[in-house]
Amino acid sequence: MGGIELAFDPVVVAVGLGVTAALALLFLWVRRGLPRDPDAPLSRRAAAVAWAADFFQDQVLGGAAPALAGRLLPLVVALFLYVLLCNWAGILPIPYAVSPTQNLNVTVGLALMVYGLTHVYGVRSKGVLGHLKGYLEPFPFLLPLNVVGDVGRTLSHGFRLFGNILGGALLTAVMGRLFAPVVVPAALNLWFGLGMGLIQALVFTLLAVAYIRATAE
Amino acid sequence: MDPQALVEAAKYLAAGICMGIGAIGPGVGEGIIGAHALDAMARQPEMATTLLRTMVIADAIAETTGIYSLVVALVLLFVV
Repeated sequence: MGGIELAFDPVVVAVGLGVTAALALLFLWVRRGLPRDPDAPLSRRAAAVAWAADFFQDQVLGGAAPALAGRLLPLVVALFLYVLLCNWAGILPIPYAVSPTQNLNVTVGLALMVYGLTHVYGVRSKGVLGHLKGYLEPFPFLLPLNVVGDVGRTLSHGFRLFGNILGGALLTAVMGRLFAPVVVPAALNLWFGLGMGLIQALVFTLLAVAYIRATAE
Repeated sequence: MDPQALVEAAKYLAAGICMGIGAIGPGVGEGIIGAHALDAMARQPEMATTLLRTMVIADAIAETTGIYSLVVALVLLFVV
């Protein structure tokens, strides 16, 4: 696609690694706060972890089979937090810092990872033949449509995150150039940065769960 | 007239038209989805969280064509 190429952008890599490091530190910090003894009184961090697990079980994985939901929970939490922090990284007051998710390579990479996982979970729950038979449903002659649907679904999964985050960033930049340079970008950052970043991270995770459930159930 | 200038002008015009027309469909679609979700939530408030989750997914799918037009507009502006 012409100018949108597989370019190595050091800023994106650096911010992505920074987000990974921040998440690793967060998880280590939470892990240290958990008591070793399961019968110990509930600490604040343990309560927070339990609340977060409940939230993801109910809101994101709600309706999934309990066995599948248990296996998906760590993936879903990690995916949501990674995309969320990547979206929010763009509004940090660091010069040149951009959201890694406004780079097409990052979002399509994440979408391809989810696409690969749909096959992993599909094969795990139904076996190779059972999983491949899913492409012949509801009718065998719909096989080409199912294959094209896979490609389009994965591409639009990546494009959606990319377009929303890049669109918000462009709009904020244009508005800041056109109108008051301080107040308007602050308000727009609040909506497009924090609000849209949260909504799009949730949408990305919900769609990933929906795609995996479609093949694994 | 310089043909390159004409191409430049057509590029900006095309990007504007692409985004403007491309935003109509998702806007109408998301409005319909939101209206019906509100209807359902008003009828059954206890279903609100389930409905909200489904509504967000439906919104994201309705938005897809708008995102495609954004990508096309960006390609027109920065690649062509």
